[in-house]
This record gives sequence, structure tokens and C-alpha cells, in this order.
Amino acid sequence: MSKKIQAIYLWWHKPVVDQELLQSLPNLKVIANSGVGMEHLDLKLVASFGVKMANAPRAVSSSTADTGMALLLASARRLVEGYHVAISSNVEYCEADFLGVEVTGATLGIIGMGSIGYKIALRAKAFEMNILYHNRTQRKEQEEQAVGATYCEKKENLLQQADFVMVVVSLTPQTHKLIGKRELELMKPTATLINISRGAVVDQEALVTALQTGVIRAAALDVTYPEPLPRDHTLLKLKNVIITPHLGIKTDKATYMITEEAVENILAALHGLPMPSEVLPS
Amino acid sequence: MWYQKPVISEELLQSLPNLKIVASSGVGIDHLDLNLLSCYGVKVSNTPFVVSTDTADLGMALMLASSRRLVEGHQMAVSPDTEYFPADWLGAEVSGATLGIIGMGTIGYKVAQRAKAFEMKILYHNRNQRTKEEESAVGAIYCKKIVDLLQQSDFVLLSVNLTPQTHKLIGKRELELMKPTATLINISRGLVVDQDALVEALQNKAVKAAALDVTYPEPLPRHHPLLKMKNVIITPHIGSATKKTRRLMMENMTESIQAGLRGLPIPNEVL
Repeated sequence: MSKKIQAIYLWWHKPVVDQELLQSLPNLKVIANSGVGMEHLDLKLVASFGVKMANAPRAVSSSTADTGMALLLASARRLVEGYHVAISSNVEYCEADFLGVEVTGATLGIIGMGSIGYKIALRAKAFEMNILYHNRTQRKEQEEQAVGATYCEKKENLLQQADFVMVVVSLTPQTHKLIGKRELELMKPTATLINISRGAVVDQEALVTALQTGVIRAAALDVTYPEPLPRDHTLLKLKNVIITPHLGIKTDKATYMITEEAVENILAALHGLPMPSEVLPS
Repeated sequence: MWYQKPVISEELLQSLPNLKIVASSGVGIDHLDLNLLSCYGVKVSNTPFVVSTDTADLGMALMLASSRRLVEGHQMAVSPDTEYFPADWLGAEVSGATLGIIGMGTIGYKVAQRAKAFEMKILYHNRNQRTKEEESAVGAIYCKKIVDLLQQSDFVLLSVNLTPQTHKLIGKRELELMKPTATLINISRGLVVDQDALVEALQNKAVKAAALDVTYPEPLPRHHPLLKMKNVIITPHIGSATKKTRRLMMENMTESIQAGLRGLPIPNEVL
């Protein structure tokens, strides 16, 4: 059986691709990932076996951008708390002091302006948000103008001005714990952190402290480290935190498109043709 | 006047002979008997424009939260029983879907502006058609017949004011015309929807889900079926509930009251 396998379609990081697996599949030609993040794969190891790799960058961007906006809005307007007030068994509640913060006209700082970050900027612009962004490289002027985004070469500038900080980077050794104690302390005490990238991009312990001591107002996390968090983790208990179970691309449409992209890549690799979204070890 | 209290009855008006003006918070005035107030020579004001963006934002928040199953997802993420996140747990995509806006006033139009950025196809139904420029600015298509909008929409958003004409605008017939995969979002008034028909439609899967910032009454009785349904999100009428907007509303109301007491033209007067 193992000699017949030429392609692997990875779904949610399974199966685990290690030396053992690669050695047991001599005819493996390609591994296609369901999603854009590749940090769970040892790219050099896989390449050393002559196996090609692909991700699915196109299919994920709209769904993930939508998730980012959903979390931003839900956190700002205290939607989850509001839901619990609305359905709770205590009939008496004081409506008048249940307030959230405004989204329209607020300042959004996007850290990581790749295709997902850019789609978030497109959406945020419609909410008349003031958009700042930090990226390894500055985007072209037309791209910036189309969304009204201002480049912050230093992420400190972005952190100090933003009402909402949206983290949309890929996880690399450089972005590991990108948001730590220092970054959180630079943020406004009225600001909200939204993470739709990877849990390890944020120093979780520092985040807990920042949330408990009012260093920042709130957080909305689609990703944590690990997933799911241990059931006794403090983040699960904080009122000003919304956690979602890695919803990023979990829609019927996105999963279909991801699978289509994966199949395109697999077929191309098996026929020796250029792959639409090949990932090379850098 | 906040949250429609105190109730303005004949009794109250008779007991306040020097009452000159009632300044009502928010844009809706369905809770006020304008004829009665006029008889007593009492002027009325509301705060129409300042609530628009927050309410539109909440409409978008509810649409996204419902579609992506955010509340359910949060419950799963924090539940003591959760061991892993199931791979086949999916929501529905907002980007590229069809949004039908019923009531294209200031708030409805702002929803359209936001939805356009999500590449949504926008249909709308209104007493009057908007101008061509307004329509093309948001890519909205007019549906003279509400039926056409209901049959094509993935999301139906209600942003009408409550009048005798819009009372129970969405009833059994309308819910059955909607797609079984569609979601109803209400940011207008609870009475615009026939709530019993909505409960039935949700139970029979005539519609997929609902997200309601408004109900009738508010709050709902604690045993009401809507409070228990997994596919229903209810929020406690927080359309305009942000610090900034509430402050602006208060400023507007104070201006109206001061003008009313001085016999000057009243900003935001309701006639």
C-alpha cells in the first residue's frame, strides 16, 4: 500500500509528516496543505526526500479576513457578553450601562499586510476606519491608497496609535512572541488585540497579565497555543476575552475551495507541471 | 427619555402641566403617541443620525457572528468538556453571499456600504427606490417586490422603522419564502417580526438562523423558546450602545431640550 501513495493532502496538520513517514512512502511526490500556514512542516526535511509541497493561499484569504472582522466587531460591541445577558435567567438587568466601543472611525493597526491583511484593510475601510499597517516590506502606493492605509515602519508607532491591533502574520522564528509584554504595554489601555494568525505569535502569559491589569481593554483570539487551551487556563475565564476554535477558514465554501486548490497542486506535481502554489524551503 | 421610559400616557401628561418637551433617545418613536403629545402642546425630539453608524456596525457584527457561529464557537472554546476542536465544524461564508436589506434609510444604506467591502451582492426593498448614484455607489439592486428579495437572499436584514405598515412585516409567509439556508437579522424593532412565526420557522428549518438585537418585549420572558435555540443570537438592544454615541445622543437631547424651553426652533424635532 505504502508504495502506491504519491500524494498526501494534509488536513489540520494530520498526518504528522516526519522522517519515519517519509521513509515509508518511497513514491510520495507531493504534499498539499489545507490552508496557508506551513510552520508545522519541516520544509527542508520534506524537500530532502524530493517531495514537493504546496499550500492554499487563495482560498483562505476572504474567510480569514471575515473572521478577523467578526472578532473585531464582536469584541468591540461585547456581543458574547451581551448574548449572555439577553438569555440569562436573571430578568433584571441594567441596560443603560452596557456599553461597548465604537468601530466606525476608530484606528485599526494591521500587523502583517499579506493577502489576508489586505482584505481586512478593504473591509475596515468601509467602516471608515483609520488604517495603519506594519509589514516586512511597504506595499505599493496604489495599494496603500486603495485602502487608505498608512505604513508604520516601526511597529511601536502602530501600537501606540491603534484602537484595534489585528495580528495577521505567518508564524516564523522572527514572529514568534512578536506581541509580548513590551508591545502590550505600548498599546492604549482602551485598545483591543485580535489574533487570527497563530497562537505562538503572542506571548500568552504576558497577554493574561495585560488583560488582568487593564494594560489593554480586551482580546479576541481565533488561535491559541495549544489548541485547545488546557481547561484550567486563565484566558478561558476572563470576561474581556473572546476565544473561537480556529474558525479562520471553517466555512463550507472555503473548505471546498481549499480542497480544489490542493487538488490542482497535486495534479500539477504528479504530471511534472508548474504548481500553482508551490512552497519552497527558504 | 431613555429606553422608552417613562411611559407617556394621558395621566402623565395631565400631571405635568408645565411639560414643554419630550426628548427621546435614539431614532425610533414608535413608543410615543404623537397626536396625544401634540394635543397637550408638548414638543418631541429624537436623535436620528447619531445612532446610524453604530447600529449599522451591530447589524454587520450580528451577521458575521451568526454566519460563522461565533457564539457557539466561543462556548466550545471555553467549555470544560472540550477536548479537541472537531474538524467538520463549519459555518457559512459571508464574503460573496447575497444580502437583502429591508429598509434602505440611513442605517440600511450604511449597512450596504459595509457589506459591499465583503464583496456581497446587495438587494434592497424600500418604500421608495434610491437614486441611481446611491445604488451604484454600493452596488445595490432594488427589489420592488419584497418576495424577490426574500427568495434570493442568504441574509435578510431588517432596518425599517416600526409603523402600522411594518408591524409583523416578516411573518409566516415571508419566512417560508426565504431560503432554508438563510439567516434573518433584526436591528429595527421586535414587532416588525411575527415572533411566533419565527420560532416555528426556526424549529421547522424554514430558515437556518436568526440574530436579533430587538425583540418584543425586551427582555423576552425567561422561558421563551428563542432564548434556548442554538441557531439564535440575541443581544440586549445594544444598537447604539457605545460610549461615544451615547454621549453624542445626550448632547443632542440636551440641545433639543434647551431650545424647546427657550421657544426656539428645536433641532431633531419630530412632527
